[in-house]
Amino acid sequence: MPPATTLIVCLVLFSAAVIGILAARPGFTAGRGGKILAFVAMFCLPIFCGLLGFSSEMQRSKTTAFCLSCHTMEDYGKSLLVDDPTHLPASHYQNHRVPVDEACYSCHTQYAMFGGLKVKLYGLKHVFIYYVGTPPAPQDIKLYEPYNNRECLHCHQGARSFEEGVVHNADPVTLPAIRSNQLSCLSSGCHDSVHDLAHLKGAKLWERGN
Amino acid sequence: MLSTNQFEKLLRFAGVCLATGLLIEALCLIWATPIAFIVFVAIGGLLILIGLVVYLYLQVSTPVADD
Repeated sequence: MPPATTLIVCLVLFSAAVIGILAARPGFTAGRGGKILAFVAMFCLPIFCGLLGFSSEMQRSKTTAFCLSCHTMEDYGKSLLVDDPTHLPASHYQNHRVPVDEACYSCHTQYAMFGGLKVKLYGLKHVFIYYVGTPPAPQDIKLYEPYNNRECLHCHQGARSFEEGVVHNADPVTLPAIRSNQLSCLSSGCHDSVHDLAHLKGAKLWERGN
Repeated sequence: MLSTNQFEKLLRFAGVCLATGLLIEALCLIWATPIAFIVFVAIGGLLILIGLVVYLYLQVSTPVADD
């Protein structure tokens, strides 16, 4: 458990203990000091602890381990370890082009206004389906909307490898078309090897990644 | 206006809701799974909200004592 979470847990337990004492001995709150203590313990601390805890949970929900903790996502996790430099998620994960601890979130969030909130709501839906509904087979999972180049350009825009890439500059219309999302990075036949679950069985995996 | 007995009962109820909600939140922070997030928000958050509302109700329904 990260030290910050440990601290939050300690604060939450401390608050619960103080509230427990006040609930067991309501007479404490009769005097002015008791009233102030009750206000801090029964109003300020629960709100503060709730917000800290919520923030910690939100941070945790961005982690790769969180996403891969669902059985349905196991194969997607494995595809990050495919020993093939043309496999897009694997090359990003293995070469730290995305933070390893937040690999899924880095590519599957939306870098737009309320994009983070939108994908969190999608995440809640996934958790609900996983526990209450019938989760689809891993190979049947589809994106809600076509992958937007905006997510790639969030990091690659301005990078030399992108701006001066030979293929990207093969003709003068390519780069503007990529920037305006008219030419998809993923589905235009360029970087189309993404979470290729069909060929995962038997694929060589990068052992050190485990 | 609430009698002392009612006040203490409600304060105790608010305290139990808040303490239970906080304990659930602590457990969810330790228990790092996706379902813990749902429990954290749906059960822990709800109990804390109920406790806060009852506590605030107690504050507005109790006459201010002259010091």
